Amino acid sequence: MRRLVAQIVEELRAADIRISPAEAIDAIRAVAAAGFERDRMREALAAALIKDEADRPAFDRIFTAWLRRTITTEARDPGSHTGVIGAGKKSSADGGGRPDKPPESASEAAAPQSTPPTEDESESASKSKTQESDETDNSRDDADDSGDQSDQSSYDIGAGSGESSGIDAIEKARLKAIERLPFTNYSELEFETARIALAPLIRRFRVRAGRRLRAARRGRVDFRRTIRAAIQRGGAMVDLKMRARRPRRVDLLILADVSGSVRYAATLMLELSAGVRKMFRRTSSFVFIDKLAEADFEDGHLVMTPPLDLYARSDFGRVLAELRDRHAQLLGPATIVIILGDGRNNRRPARADILGEIARRCRAVCWLNPEPIDRWGRGDSAIENYVRHADLLIAATNLRELEDAMLTIGRPRRGGGSAVNPAPNPVGRFA
Amino acid sequence: MDITAQAVGEGLRRANYIANQRIETAIFLALAIDKPLLIEGPAGAGKTEVAKVIAAMLDTELIRLQCYEGLDEARALYEWNYQKQLLRLQAGEHEGLAWDQVSSHLFSRDYLLERPLLRAISSPRTVVLLIDEIDKADEEFEAFLLELLSDFQVSIPELGTVRALHHPAVVLTSNRARELSEALRRRCLHLFIDFPTPDQERRIIELKVPELDEHLAAAAARYVAGLRKMRLRKPPSIAETLDWARALVRLGVRELDNAAVRSTLGLLLKHDEDRVAVEGKAGNIPGSSR
Repeated sequence: MRRLVAQIVEELRAADIRISPAEAIDAIRAVAAAGFERDRMREALAAALIKDEADRPAFDRIFTAWLRRTITTEARDPGSHTGVIGAGKKSSADGGGRPDKPPESASEAAAPQSTPPTEDESESASKSKTQESDETDNSRDDADDSGDQSDQSSYDIGAGSGESSGIDAIEKARLKAIERLPFTNYSELEFETARIALAPLIRRFRVRAGRRLRAARRGRVDFRRTIRAAIQRGGAMVDLKMRARRPRRVDLLILADVSGSVRYAATLMLELSAGVRKMFRRTSSFVFIDKLAEADFEDGHLVMTPPLDLYARSDFGRVLAELRDRHAQLLGPATIVIILGDGRNNRRPARADILGEIARRCRAVCWLNPEPIDRWGRGDSAIENYVRHADLLIAATNLRELEDAMLTIGRPRRGGGSAVNPAPNPVGRFA
Repeated sequence: MDITAQAVGEGLRRANYIANQRIETAIFLALAIDKPLLIEGPAGAGKTEVAKVIAAMLDTELIRLQCYEGLDEARALYEWNYQKQLLRLQAGEHEGLAWDQVSSHLFSRDYLLERPLLRAISSPRTVVLLIDEIDKADEEFEAFLLELLSDFQVSIPELGTVRALHHPAVVLTSNRARELSEALRRRCLHLFIDFPTPDQERRIIELKVPELDEHLAAAAARYVAGLRKMRLRKPPSIAETLDWARALVRLGVRELDNAAVRSTLGLLLKHDEDRVAVEGKAGNIPGSSR
């Protein structure tokens, strides 16, 4: 059982879920306590290993695959254990239906096996997969590693997890690379990869953003705590206690251009911001091309109400007017407006004055531009007109920059309050 | 009580708590392998209730520490009773006692104010310690909790180390007002409690408000589930559903129609903008159209 748990832990780690050795030990104790009934075992492993609900879908997927592989590996094993094979075949046929006690029997079966035959087994298993040779080599190495870590005799099952972690390594490198790929170079395929890369990014983003709310070392004195602390020493010495920095309640209003030129960036930003919705009092998301629509995520897909004409051409001026006139209640002194767009207005009236009006009414207006800086202000770009009224203009040309830009926006101002810092020299601001 | 999965399931039913496999397993594990249980989920989904139910199940005391910004050790762990110490000093002066004689008493248990955490540790039997809304406390406090949760011991400089005779069953809840540290998560089992399914909620209503008509309970559960699907500023909690169900009983509502819903919406929705949004759509929500 220990080995089996070690295996799933490894697979979860390969999927970028952080699990400490202590948690792995907890998982073993948890399974030992909860038993091997499938649902209960799954919940036990989840309680011990998964500490963020966002990881739960990935866990469920890996758990199912792990269970099925454990059973089929068992079924492939020639020799004794006929009863187990029967059970394994049956449950793998109905897609892992209700295998009540497979893992226990699997561990029992795996324990007495000696190394040489299982290595053969692993080789044949690897060959039977339609893999490219270098990948297979790679996976064999990984399998060795995993074997060393847990136990010497685990090759038979180690091969399975090794393969997947080999692929995962390539996958991980690809996901890392995509963070820096400019949005302008995206194809549909890269966009899909970026969406996958976004999941761990959102998690990291939440932690990084949350950290900014920690208690202050300076600021307002907490009188009550200071006096209470001093009383313990008879008031002889005063150790100033500070009031914690209270995150000011901030509303977020996101306005994203989804026209052809920037739609990948817009979708990713909306998804990223959906992950931190809880950190703001209220988040409203809008998308636009030539008209305004409310944006929502359902099952990871962007839903627009009303639907937009995707072949229209961007009209920032009209959209800003629409926002001001129809959603005035959302534009209050606590609102931060984030606009994502390249400001390419197709030579229509820019109406920057409306942006100015919105900026006066709101806490801040931040403009994220997914275009490379050297193209700002060229051609039909009206970004110079708008930037005069924005508190912040940040380049967000790839995923990494997008995340940093969102963090800049959430950065607390000195002396308290999570709000936009109206920096004297916002990044890339025009002179 | 013997800690077995069956016993926990049975105990939950006895305590009138409708749970799914997930909650049941997590509670069982927390007790069986003696680990703190960190519960997350939306406000009003029954997180705090879990601790109360565990206490009821174990037939023991529930010690609750409500976290808030600025909570420090003095109010969570212990504090010396300064006034009492002063009085003791003054009394000592009158009696003409030497400093040695006085000071040996001054820092004894008699002058210690036990706060929830110390109370939970020094309790002569297993208690349930509920650390509610840990996300509201500061990060320093969280770091301090780590030590306590891993060793269940506290060192008081003047008194020595206090070790727990019986580890309390620890339940932490969080609303995710801020992200908790990885270190704390690592030390806890994790449970996410979402709002119940309409069917579970119906059973909850039937259990807690048995006076309500059966089909009305089902309709109410469906309606509330529909509300939660809408993007509201504050979705209705289970407690509010129950309040609403009680109101429906008192008002003698027979059918859950638009008029009945409209007049009682204030029990479910506590923000005016939510009310406006719902009233605009009321006809479209399952359960209200009947």
